[in-house]
Amino acid sequence: MLDALSHFFRSLVSLHNPLWFFYPLLAVIAVVYKATKFDKPKDIALSSIHFFVSVALGMLALGLAFYLVSILF
Amino acid sequence: MTDGAASLRSPVAALVLAWIFPGAGHAYAGQRGKAVLFAVLITGLLVAGFAMGRGTNLLPNEWWFAPQLGAGGPAALLTPLSQYLAVRRPVDWASPVREIGTLYTAIAGLLNLLVMMDAYVLLAYPGEKQERERARETGGKTDDA
Repeated sequence: MLDALSHFFRSLVSLHNPLWFFYPLLAVIAVVYKATKFDKPKDIALSSIHFFVSVALGMLALGLAFYLVSILF
Repeated sequence: MTDGAASLRSPVAALVLAWIFPGAGHAYAGQRGKAVLFAVLITGLLVAGFAMGRGTNLLPNEWWFAPQLGAGGPAALLTPLSQYLAVRRPVDWASPVREIGTLYTAIAGLLNLLVMMDAYVLLAYPGEKQERERARETGGKTDDA
């Protein structure tokens, strides 16, 4: 199990992983979406960061869960 | 801008302008800062995706073209160029970078639909957003997450 987790995180931080391209995309989605919700720059910035971090962590958790399921079954 | 000045402007014109060029609807509604932000981010995302696909991912015969069209003017301008490049260059259909580039362009179009609706709502229901923000600041009930 530890080997599997290590492999998952090593492949995730690899420079050759095309998933890196999703972070700028997520950042743009966060800023545009929150800019339609708020008017003050400070509110837009804070809520965008919150959105970015929560979605990135959520996707990471989902990816890890799918990876573990694919290994276990 | 005052609500009175906003009410003289047409929400439908804001919607159409936002489709013609991302952010133009907000500029029309008087929100210049947001207009620049939307123009830079949405057009930048579209152009970045186009470049990642080596200019071959804005093709009308692919289903991705429907969301891509949401980016309006810039997407319409890049489409003939994409058709030209797809004929001239070999297209690597299986390239993951090209696929992500296509996703970038499609998301740019979908985000512009959101921005178009926001520009419309700004003029169709002036003051509603400020009321919601005020309610949020004072701890009142709001209808969004």
